Amino acid sequence: MGKLMPTFLSKVSLACAIGCMLFASTTFAITEKAQAKPLRIAVAANFAPALKILLDDMPNKEQFNLQIISAATGTLYLQIKHGAPFDLFLSADATRPELLEQAHLTLENSRKTYALGQIALWSATQPVSHLNALTHYAGKLAIANPETAPYGTAAQQALTYLSLWPKIKSNLITGININQTFQQVRSQAVPLGIVANSQLVMNKLSGVIIPTHYYQPITQQLVIIKSSRQVALAKKISDYILQTNSQAKLQSLGYLAVTSSNPLDEAKR
Amino acid sequence: MTDISADILALVTTLKMAAVTAVILLLIGTPLAWYLAKWQSRFKVFFEAIVALPLVLPPTVLGFYLLLAFSPTSLPGELWQSATGSQLAFSFSAIVIGSVLYSLPFVVQPLQKAFEQLGDHHLEAAAMLGAGPIDRFFSIVFPLTKASFITATVLGFAHTVGEFGVVLMIGGNIPGETRVLSIALFDHVEAFNYANAHILSAGLLIASLLLLSLVYLLGNNLNSNLNKKQRVTKL
Amino acid sequence: MSLSTLPNNSPTLNNTISTLSLDFTVSFSQFETAIKQNISIDNITGIYGDSGSGKSTLLRVIAGLEKQAKGQVSFNEVTLQNSEKRDFVKAESRNIGLVFQDSRLFPHLSVYENLAYGAKRRKNPKLTIEEVLTLTQLTSLQYQNVSQLSGGEKQRVSIARALLAEPKLLLLDEPFSALDKTTKSQMLTFLKTIQQQLQLPMLYVSHSLSELQYIAEQLVVVSAGKISHVAPIHQAIHYLNNRGETSVKTSLSLTIAEHLPEYGLTRLKFNELQSTEQSIYLPLLALNSQRSDEESLIGQQLPCMIYARDISLCLTEPEHSSIVNHLPATITAIDYNNTNALITLKCAEQVFYAQISLWSAIRMALVVNANIYLQFKANAVHSYHYTGSITHA
Repeated sequence: MGKLMPTFLSKVSLACAIGCMLFASTTFAITEKAQAKPLRIAVAANFAPALKILLDDMPNKEQFNLQIISAATGTLYLQIKHGAPFDLFLSADATRPELLEQAHLTLENSRKTYALGQIALWSATQPVSHLNALTHYAGKLAIANPETAPYGTAAQQALTYLSLWPKIKSNLITGININQTFQQVRSQAVPLGIVANSQLVMNKLSGVIIPTHYYQPITQQLVIIKSSRQVALAKKISDYILQTNSQAKLQSLGYLAVTSSNPLDEAKR
Repeated sequence: MTDISADILALVTTLKMAAVTAVILLLIGTPLAWYLAKWQSRFKVFFEAIVALPLVLPPTVLGFYLLLAFSPTSLPGELWQSATGSQLAFSFSAIVIGSVLYSLPFVVQPLQKAFEQLGDHHLEAAAMLGAGPIDRFFSIVFPLTKASFITATVLGFAHTVGEFGVVLMIGGNIPGETRVLSIALFDHVEAFNYANAHILSAGLLIASLLLLSLVYLLGNNLNSNLNKKQRVTKL
Repeated sequence: MSLSTLPNNSPTLNNTISTLSLDFTVSFSQFETAIKQNISIDNITGIYGDSGSGKSTLLRVIAGLEKQAKGQVSFNEVTLQNSEKRDFVKAESRNIGLVFQDSRLFPHLSVYENLAYGAKRRKNPKLTIEEVLTLTQLTSLQYQNVSQLSGGEKQRVSIARALLAEPKLLLLDEPFSALDKTTKSQMLTFLKTIQQQLQLPMLYVSHSLSELQYIAEQLVVVSAGKISHVAPIHQAIHYLNNRGETSVKTSLSLTIAEHLPEYGLTRLKFNELQSTEQSIYLPLLALNSQRSDEESLIGQQLPCMIYARDISLCLTEPEHSSIVNHLPATITAIDYNNTNALITLKCAEQVFYAQISLWSAIRMALVVNANIYLQFKANAVHSYHYTGSITHA
C-alpha cells in the first residue's frame, strides 16, 4: 500500500494543477473584460519610441486605455490582412497602408502621412563629420534591407546618388529593419552604417544627416482599420499625431515634419 | 504605461500559455508517442519526420502557415469562429495551438524513446497477470518512464516559454492576451529599452537554467532509484 | 518445510484433465509455425524442441500474445481465438499464467508488491499472498527490491506472482534454463511440489530433455514449427532415442523403497504392475540422515534416467563387481552404428538401452532374444530430485 499513496497523490495534485489553471484563466478573462475596451495601436517598431513620447504628452490620456503593439511593418500588415484586432496602424512606409486601402480594410479617407523619416551616416567607433568618409571607405557598411525596409531603400538611393553604390554593394551588411541596422552599428559590430536620424536623436547621438534630396522621402503613413469599433477614438489619436504641436515634437525627435510638401494632407486640414 | 506592470502581465500570460500547452501536450503527446513507439510500418518515418519538423522549421514559417489557417477567412478559422463564437487568430487559444505544434517534438521524442526502451517485456508480463491496456499504462508504463515524463513536461513547458516566432506571427502582441515574455523582451530591445531588456533576459536565462537543472537532477535521481533502490518499506 | 517432502495426496486424486485444442498457423518473416493438435494436460505437460523450433511461439499463441495467429485456439471448450470469426480473447482476459525465462519482475515494485500485482487483478481469490509466500518460501524476502534477488529467487517470485493471479492454466517458458544445475534441481522439485498441491495444469517448455523427464508426465515434441509427437514422458523419450536426436537414454519412474544411509544408497523398486522384485540403487537421496522427514519419501514415484553409454552388458550375473546395479534382461533389438552398437533390452516390462563398442558386440556374439545381464553404477542413475533445503544464497 505504501507505493499506492504517492501515485494517487501525484494524480490528485495533477488534477489540482489543471483545475487551478483553468480557474486562473477564467478569472483572468473576467478581469480583462471589466476594463474599458482598449484601443490597439499597431506601430512600426522604429516609430514606437516616438509614439510613446507623443502619447505621454497627450492631454487626458488617463481616460483612454491605449495599447501599443509594435512589430515590423510587414508583420503588422500581414496580421491586419488576416483579421488582427487593431484599431490604428502606423506604418513605417506608405506602401502597406496603400495596399490595405486597396483591399478595403481601412476606414475611408483615414490614410495620412504622419512623419517623414530622415537617414544619417553614423559610426560608434569613430567620429564621422562628413559624407566624404564614405568615398574611400573599404570596410563593411550597415544599411537596412533595401528590398523590404523603407530606410534601406532610401540608403540605397543616397548611395546611388553619390555614385558609391556599385563599389560598396559587396560590402553591405543588411539588417531586416532599421532597428537591427542601428543595433549592428551601435554594438560596434559594423564600424559604419546608415541609420534613421530619429534613432540617433532619441539616443542622444549624432551623425551626418544625409541631405533629403539624395533620396525619395521616407513617407510614413497611418490608417484606421475598418473593423475598429472605436473609430472616434482612433480618429482622435490620428488627429493628435498630425497636429502642429506633435509634428514639432517629432521634428525634435529626428523626423521631418509633415509640411505643405504633402498638399493632399494639408488641404483636408 | 509603466513597463514593469506590462512585463508582469506578459509573464503571467507566458506562464499560463506554457502551462496550458504542457498539459495539452501531455494529453496528446503521450498517445502519439506510444503509437510511434509501437507502430511498425514503412510510413512511420514519415510521421516521425512530421513530429520533428518544428525542430528544423523556422518558427516564422510555421507561424505564417498557422496565420493563414487561423485567419477568419480560412476554413479552420471559420470553423473555430462558428464553434466558439470568437476569432481564432490573435487569441490566447491561437498561441496555445501554435505552441502545442511548435513544442510537440520536445514532448513526443523523449516519451517515444522511453516507450521504445521500455519494450514489451513488462507489459506482456502485466497482461498475463490480468492487467488491461489502461491499467498497464498507469501501473507499469508510467512508473517506469516517470523520469521521461518529467523531462518531456519540463522541456515542453520551457520551450514554450522561450517561444517567439510562432507567437509573434499568430498572436499579434496583444497585452494580456498574446503578449508573452519573449515578445516583450523583443519590444524592449527594439525600443532601445536595454535596462528592461536586461532584467527580462537575465530572468529568463536564470529561470530556464534552474528549470533544466531540475530536470536533469530529477532524471538522475529517478533513474538511480530504479536501478539500485535500497527500499525497506513496511507495507 | 523441506522440498524433499512430497505431498501426501496422490497425483490422481481430484485431478481434472484440461484440454487444449489448437489449430493455427503463425509466421515470422520466413518461419511458419503450424500447429494442429488437441492436447490433454494432466499435471505437467512438457513441450520439447530445439531453439527456434516454434515451441515458444506455441506458448505465446496460447497465452494470447500473438494476435496475428490465424486459425483457432480453445481451452476446455472455451474459444480463446478464432481468426475466421474475428474472435480474440485478450491475454489479460484468458486467465492463463505465463512464467517467462527472464522472469520479467516489475523493477519499481518490491517482492511483495510484485505478488500483489497479480493478486489484485483476479476475480475469485482463493489463495492469499501470505499463503503463496509460505508455499514459495519467499516470506523472508518479501520487502526486498527485486533487483537484489538471485536468479533462482527471481524465478520463484515470478512463479509466485503467476500463481497469485490464479490462472486455470500455467505456461512456463524455459523458466529455469538460465540457472545453475543445483538451483535448477531445487526449482524443479519445488515446482513439482506446488503443482501437486494446487492441482494446477501446466505446460512446461524446455530444450532440456532431462529437465522435462523429471517434471513432465507427458511430452509434446515440436520440430520445425510442427508438433511431431505426443506421448507419455518415458515413451516419448524412447521415441526420441530411436530418432537419434539425443544421446540415448533409458527413462523410467521407480518407487522409492528404502534409504540405506549406512551404505550411502537409496533403493528403488519397479512398479507393482511390473512383475519383478528387482531393485535399482542410486546415491542416497536424503543427504541428512537425521532428518525426520526422509521416511516420507518412501512410496513416492521418482523419475530417473540412465544414459545408454553408462549401461554395460554381461553374459553371466556379475555378482563379484563393484557395480551396484545388475538386472537380468532379454535383448529385443540390436542396431549397429559406425563406432558402436545400441542394444535394446527388456527387463520385465521395462525397456533399457545399452550402448557398447562394436568390438564388445562382436566378441560377445549378441543376438536378439538372448538372455543377458545389464549392469550400471549407482551414480549412473540420474534424477533431478533435490534433497537439500532451499538456501537463500
